[in-house]
Amino acid sequence: MTIITSFAGVLAQISEGATHFAVDNSDKGVENMAASLFIILIFLSCLFLGTGAASDGGAAMPSEALSQDPHFTGCLSRDLQTFRCWWNAGSFQNLTDPGALRVFFATSRSSEWRECPEYSASVPNECYFNKSHTDIWTKYCIQLRSQAQNITYSDLCFDVENIVYPDPPIQFNWTFLSVSRSGLHFDIMVHWEPPPSAEVKSGWMTLVYEVQYRETNTSRWITLEQEKGTQQSIYSLHTGTEYEVRVRCKMRLFENFGDFSETILVYIQPIPTKESQFPVTRVLIFGAVGVGILLLLIIFSQQQKLMVILLPPVPAPKIKGIDPELLKKGKLEELSSILSSHYMYQPEPYQEDDWVEFIEVDTGEPCEKQGADSDTQRLLGSGPGLLGFKDDDSGRASCYDPDFPDPEIPELPLPKQGLGPAHLATASSTSPSPTAVNPVHPLIQTQLGTQTWVNMDFYAQVSDVTPSGGVVLSPGQQGGAPQEVEEEKKKEKEGEEDKEGEEREKEEERDKSKKKEVEKFQLVVVDPEGGAYTSERDARQISAEFKPGQGYTPAPPQAPAPGVPMGGYQSPYLLIEGPPCPPLPPVSDYTVVQDVDAQHSLLLNPTPPEPQIPQPPTPAKPLPAMPVGYLSPDLLGNITP
Amino acid sequence: MAKNSIKWDGVARDQMNHRGTRTEREMAQRFKGSNLFLTALLCLVSRYHAAGLGDLLDRASQLSDKLHSLSTSLTNELDTHFPPMGKILMPRPSMCHTASLQTPHDKDQALRVPESELLSLARALLLSWNDPLLLLSAEAPSLSHPHNGAIYSKTRELQDQSNNLSSGLDRLVHKIGTSSKSLSPLPFKGGDLGGDKNSRLINFYFLLSCFRRDSHKIDNFLKLLRCRAAKQDIC
Repeated sequence: MTIITSFAGVLAQISEGATHFAVDNSDKGVENMAASLFIILIFLSCLFLGTGAASDGGAAMPSEALSQDPHFTGCLSRDLQTFRCWWNAGSFQNLTDPGALRVFFATSRSSEWRECPEYSASVPNECYFNKSHTDIWTKYCIQLRSQAQNITYSDLCFDVENIVYPDPPIQFNWTFLSVSRSGLHFDIMVHWEPPPSAEVKSGWMTLVYEVQYRETNTSRWITLEQEKGTQQSIYSLHTGTEYEVRVRCKMRLFENFGDFSETILVYIQPIPTKESQFPVTRVLIFGAVGVGILLLLIIFSQQQKLMVILLPPVPAPKIKGIDPELLKKGKLEELSSILSSHYMYQPEPYQEDDWVEFIEVDTGEPCEKQGADSDTQRLLGSGPGLLGFKDDDSGRASCYDPDFPDPEIPELPLPKQGLGPAHLATASSTSPSPTAVNPVHPLIQTQLGTQTWVNMDFYAQVSDVTPSGGVVLSPGQQGGAPQEVEEEKKKEKEGEEDKEGEEREKEEERDKSKKKEVEKFQLVVVDPEGGAYTSERDARQISAEFKPGQGYTPAPPQAPAPGVPMGGYQSPYLLIEGPPCPPLPPVSDYTVVQDVDAQHSLLLNPTPPEPQIPQPPTPAKPLPAMPVGYLSPDLLGNITP
Repeated sequence: MAKNSIKWDGVARDQMNHRGTRTEREMAQRFKGSNLFLTALLCLVSRYHAAGLGDLLDRASQLSDKLHSLSTSLTNELDTHFPPMGKILMPRPSMCHTASLQTPHDKDQALRVPESELLSLARALLLSWNDPLLLLSAEAPSLSHPHNGAIYSKTRELQDQSNNLSSGLDRLVHKIGTSSKSLSPLPFKGGDLGGDKNSRLINFYFLLSCFRRDSHKIDNFLKLLRCRAAKQDIC
């Protein structure tokens, strides 16, 4: 201010002198001189005022409320070749004059402190380090000192490569890449050039770039990955939306990004699609769904048929004309009728008649006669005790035949005896179909009966078995002995299956046979695997081969315990002497078992004229009158000798 | 008949095998011959082919880039849990052990240095760090830093990369030729990092920052060399 006033005073004096000079000389020249002098004065004053104002402005910089020391605000380099540093006087107003604060620096190379090589003329509080004063890969330390260098306000140390903030890339622009088929999305490629200040071509600086974009008027920028090259593609932008894109760069493997470039705007009109796309996909979807539903409907409606087609049922084994249900339920009568109607067993019906015939013809045994039909029926019918009689099919009878007389003939050697029962046992045990037994009886019996032995008994007692396998029969009474023998044979043969009742039955039969004086017959089974019947020829053979005189020896008197189940034919042969129907002149050794009750007692044919007196038989004694209709187990014990 | 035919087949097969081995031998011999010829050709070609230098330098600059990035990541790893006072207490402006090696410290200077010298400088600088890297990897496991495991693995990686690059630089030196100035790697005298764990950590960090700087230097030199080998005028 004092300078200005003094200067103003000087100017006034000059102007006075000038006017005086002008008055002395001509009037025009003096006027010109005065005007130019006046202009010069004004210019100079403005200049001084300007500097004063500048210094005033410097001092008038907004100062922080808090008192703050002068400090460095930052240092940065743009090109890794030069750098600048700025400082702030802080709240110290008096230090704002130029030269009030001084900057000194030192490097690791030259460790003495040197003052800032160049204080920027244009920018205040800036120290500029030019190329010659910039060493890369050296540590710089700068200090802010007072003018007198007695106070160090702040200091800063750095490496130049760590303060590099590159300039923003230039020539930033975008090009259209492609648009999607739906016309909703498009891709662009943005490209730029590295900042000219950065020496990239020579390899001095390696820059990486980062592109950011966003929809206009949104707040969040989307950052893409750093790129070493000078272009970047942006995918999947929406048509009809305006986008802003910008880019910045930094030195590779250093942290400081430079400023962003100016943002460019990207916009593409939405393209109306020529072809409507979605009906195709929708039609396909609907079609697939419809087809699926149709298939499901078909499957569910035609489930049975499909199951049959896909998984055909396996045919179960069945016999023609026979319902497996019958077998399950055990209605053997029906089954027997069915089987009887089977072609295999065709001869049976008429033979049944013959059987009946025979029963009728056979007058020797009233008891037999009476119960003929019922006998046959009961024989044929099912009964728990008679199950054992029901042998299997015809083939077995022949197997059995050699074994028939084994248990009845005690004179046979034991192994054979043992063999016999075993054979019978096995044979009988393996016989599955009970109904096959029935035809066996009538077949053999009728065959024998019809052909040759019209006058003979229906039963014959087996007295011996020849080694050749022939059965030696002892002829029973004229009436029914052979038949009885047959029947007994069959019964005994099949009796293995049913333990107690069968045993008793057999024993009874044997008892009966023992009673009688029987003729011996020889039954030769010629065709073991043939039918269960012997042919006419065979029967004749049998009769021819019969050797008279072969009596049968009674079994050793062994009393089997009643009720004891006997596995084989170990039971001794029981001689039952005495006819079951005593007054009959030919008293048959056998009687027909009518039925077996639940207690496994044999129900015999009642003989009306005979008193039913249970009397234990004795060997070679006539059997006392027995209760024909009923034989209890203990009675059976009595019977045995 | 069948037996005979089989026998004959067997005999025929044996004959064929013999024939086969003979042809195989011939083929092998021919192959060997052609192999030799090819290798000879390659040697000749490689001798007189100059483009190999550019590829070699390219590869070397890739390796040095990798080395620099490894050192940077290691420094960053250490920075995560560095005590704030450590940076202030760091010995400064102390010098790294490689500071005595006179390397160009700005671009103009670097462009003025001949290529062979620049390459030798880079190689010497790299070789000077063999021992310190060993020390670093030895000290890393016992460093009082939460990430010392990762640090250890990175130091091992640094060693491997350094070995790779040094072998590459050797080949380059053979190719370009040794410089007039004989530049030898500088010995590392600091055998121990310090007594207490804090000073050890600080010294570790300081050593690593020195290495980072030097790796940047090497990378820069090699990139300059690459440009100069490829385009003489632009660089």
